Amino acid sequence: MFTIFRFAIGSLFLISSLGKLLSPYQNFLYVIQAYQLLPSGFEVLTAQVFPWIEFLVGAFVFLGLWTPWALRGAIVLFGIFVFVVGQALLRGLPLENCGCFGEWIHLKPQIVIVMDSLSLVLTFLSLRNYTRAKRFSLDAYFDPK
Amino acid sequence: MNKLQTSLVIILVLAGAVVGAKFYFAPKKAVINLQMARAKGNPNARVKIVEFIDFQCPACAFGVGYLKTFFDQHPNDLYIQVRYFPLTNMHHHAMISALYSECAARQGKFWALDDQMIPQQQQWAQLISPEPVFQAMASQVGMNIDQLNTCLASDDARKVINDEKSLGQSMGITSTPTYFINGKMVVGTKSLQDELKAYFP
Repeated sequence: MFTIFRFAIGSLFLISSLGKLLSPYQNFLYVIQAYQLLPSGFEVLTAQVFPWIEFLVGAFVFLGLWTPWALRGAIVLFGIFVFVVGQALLRGLPLENCGCFGEWIHLKPQIVIVMDSLSLVLTFLSLRNYTRAKRFSLDAYFDPK
Repeated sequence: MNKLQTSLVIILVLAGAVVGAKFYFAPKKAVINLQMARAKGNPNARVKIVEFIDFQCPACAFGVGYLKTFFDQHPNDLYIQVRYFPLTNMHHHAMISALYSECAARQGKFWALDDQMIPQQQQWAQLISPEPVFQAMASQVGMNIDQLNTCLASDDARKVINDEKSLGQSMGITSTPTYFINGKMVVGTKSLQDELKAYFP
């Protein structure tokens, strides 16, 4: 069960990051600007760097490499998503689409905040049950105990 | 190979694969067509802007308003060209508004109709059918209504719009408004303002 959670969490990050990485960074920059949270200088940097962080965290969670650290990274990322989308909803920002998956998948912020909160809980549970989440992982290959 | 070495190899391989895919799927560059009816300004201007818009998109209306004011302040330094990118999955009137614009362009009335259509976007966007409003606007700007109706009924205008949307997609456009300023892609009015500041400090 926790192994499936791990694959699901990893896949989620891989899909969402690839949607952004394979598109010009300006498209994700536009999404970031819509949340009206960061200063201009940080917006560009975030648009260029953040998808790579998502991608590496997703890949490491999926492959089960340095799994506890990768899952902690995933918890931080989900926490950021919940905060960013939550503040946008509270402020009533006119967002038609969360922009979380690039242009591959369109989801309303109300749906995304529920999805991210659930994922946050699943990731936390996977971390708590690391020994079970580590089946079929590279960690299990390197540290079989 | 130990765990650390394996991690480094995995990072390098994955990053290389993404960079390779980005290179392989690299978007096309914007090309300025100086013969286009949907253009205004000085064709030799130092700043050439191609804007891809959806006439029903509120952010596009804001961008068009901003660019109009900016153009009025720098008429000789700008060349602006409009391309269609109707977001038909999000906006019900995206295609019909683009069709009226294309038919207006064929009568040399694109900008006149644009000046009517964009400021009133919030009103016609609410309607079940905005066509009576568009017809009234067309009459007001002096368009030939028979020619307009023939144009609206033809597949040709729709094809132009769909072809431009496909072109936009091949250039990496996913949302509107997207601008190409001297070939550099910027998305949204905030980025447009930032980019123009570099040319007009």
